[in-house]
Order: sequence, then C-alpha cells, then structure tokens
Amino acid sequence: MPDYQRQVHNRLAVLRAERGLSRKQLAEKLGINYQTIGYIERGDYNPSLELALTIADLFRLPVEAIFSLNPMTPLSEEIFGEPPAETR
Amino acid sequence: MNTTITRRVEYLPRSRRRLVVAVALAGYPAAVAVLAGLKHTSLNRGLILALFLLVLLLTVAALAVGYRYARGRIDGRGARLDERDLALRQQAYALSHRVLAAILIAATAATVIYLTSGNTLRLDANNVLPATIWVIVYIPALPSLMLAWIETDQPADA
Repeated sequence: MPDYQRQVHNRLAVLRAERGLSRKQLAEKLGINYQTIGYIERGDYNPSLELALTIADLFRLPVEAIFSLNPMTPLSEEIFGEPPAETR
Repeated sequence: MNTTITRRVEYLPRSRRRLVVAVALAGYPAAVAVLAGLKHTSLNRGLILALFLLVLLLTVAALAVGYRYARGRIDGRGARLDERDLALRQQAYALSHRVLAAILIAATAATVIYLTSGNTLRLDANNVLPATIWVIVYIPALPSLMLAWIETDQPADA
C-alpha cells in the first residue's frame, strides 16, 4: 500500500469464514484474483469504492459493516455490547 | 514441474525478491566491468571468460525470475489483471521511470566529470555495444523488476 494511503480495516476474513468461502471462491464471485482477497484481508490493499460496494452487495451488508477507517471491533461485541472483563 | 517453479517464484519473500532484482540490475554492468578490468591483465583468458559468463548467467537467471514473478502483469499478456494488479503496474512503471532517470543522470554526470577532467572518450563498438545491450535488455525488464521489488509478500493460502 502506498505511504500516502490510510489503512482501511475490514471484516472480510471473518465474513468469508462465516459463509464458508475460500479466497478463490470469493474472488471468482467478485471477478478478481484470489491473491487480492488476501491482500485486502491483511490490510495491504485498499479496495476501490466499486469493489468495496460489490463486496458489500455480495454479503448483503452495508459497506460500513465490512470496511472502516478505524480498527474494527468483533461483530458479537457490536451486537451484544462489551464482553465481561474476565473474558477479555 | 513448471507449476512448482511458478509457485515458488510467486511466493518468494520480498527480501529474496529484492536480492534477485539487485543481482539482475547490477549483474550485467558487473560482467562488463569484470571483462573490461581483467582483459588487460595477465590472467588466463579462459578464466576471464568463465568469470564473465558466470556473472552473465546469474544476471540472466535473476532477470528470468523477475519476469516469472511479474507473470505477465506488466504487459497484461497471459494474465487477467484486476484493480490491484493495475494499481501495482502503475506503481512499477512510476518507480521504473524514477530508477531510469537516476541511472541516466548518474551516467551523464559521470561522463561529464570524466570529460571535464581532461580525458577523452572514444565512441567505438567496445563501449557502444554494452550500452546498447543494456538499453535493449533493461528498459523492457525494468517495470517487471520494479514490480518484484515493490509488491509485499503474498498472503498464505486460506
């Protein structure tokens, strides 16, 4: 990723695992190379707006549920609130 | 066999790739320098030739690895390029331009310093030929080498 770009955080790996998709399968659905999925998941590549919207559409989620400029909290935490201190 | 080599090259860590790029870039000038530096010595001609060919072989091997790593992503042949590949290609071309500019400026400056120091430069096949070969080999190869230089390590398969 070029130095002038901010890192875009994402939940792609979690969502992909949840739907039981391999990188190759997801890449085929999106029409991109499977390596690109890995780079996006690792935060080494920021997808274009078009690709981000296509991913959001594929997972039927709002784009901000998948991509964020701030580090992402676990989805369970967002839905059910903060976990008890002893489990953190 | 061919696929195994491709996958090995594809997953070369960036530090190794950068070493390969450095060998590819410095190899040919080093081979020419070895030949020019040693041909007026009393060293055995066969040994000089063997040394020259060895450095040249390393250069060719490093260039081949660079091309293989780029997997047609520079010229767009034999590869379906997605948006990351296209962005990477642009970065590789931009870096190639900067490297080429630096080399040309350094070569021009060195020539000017050499000439203004009272030396003369004779243009003949002995010095034009290596420069021509350098242009023919490196200008097309530079974007592939720069792509191998800048791309971060491939994520592990999952």
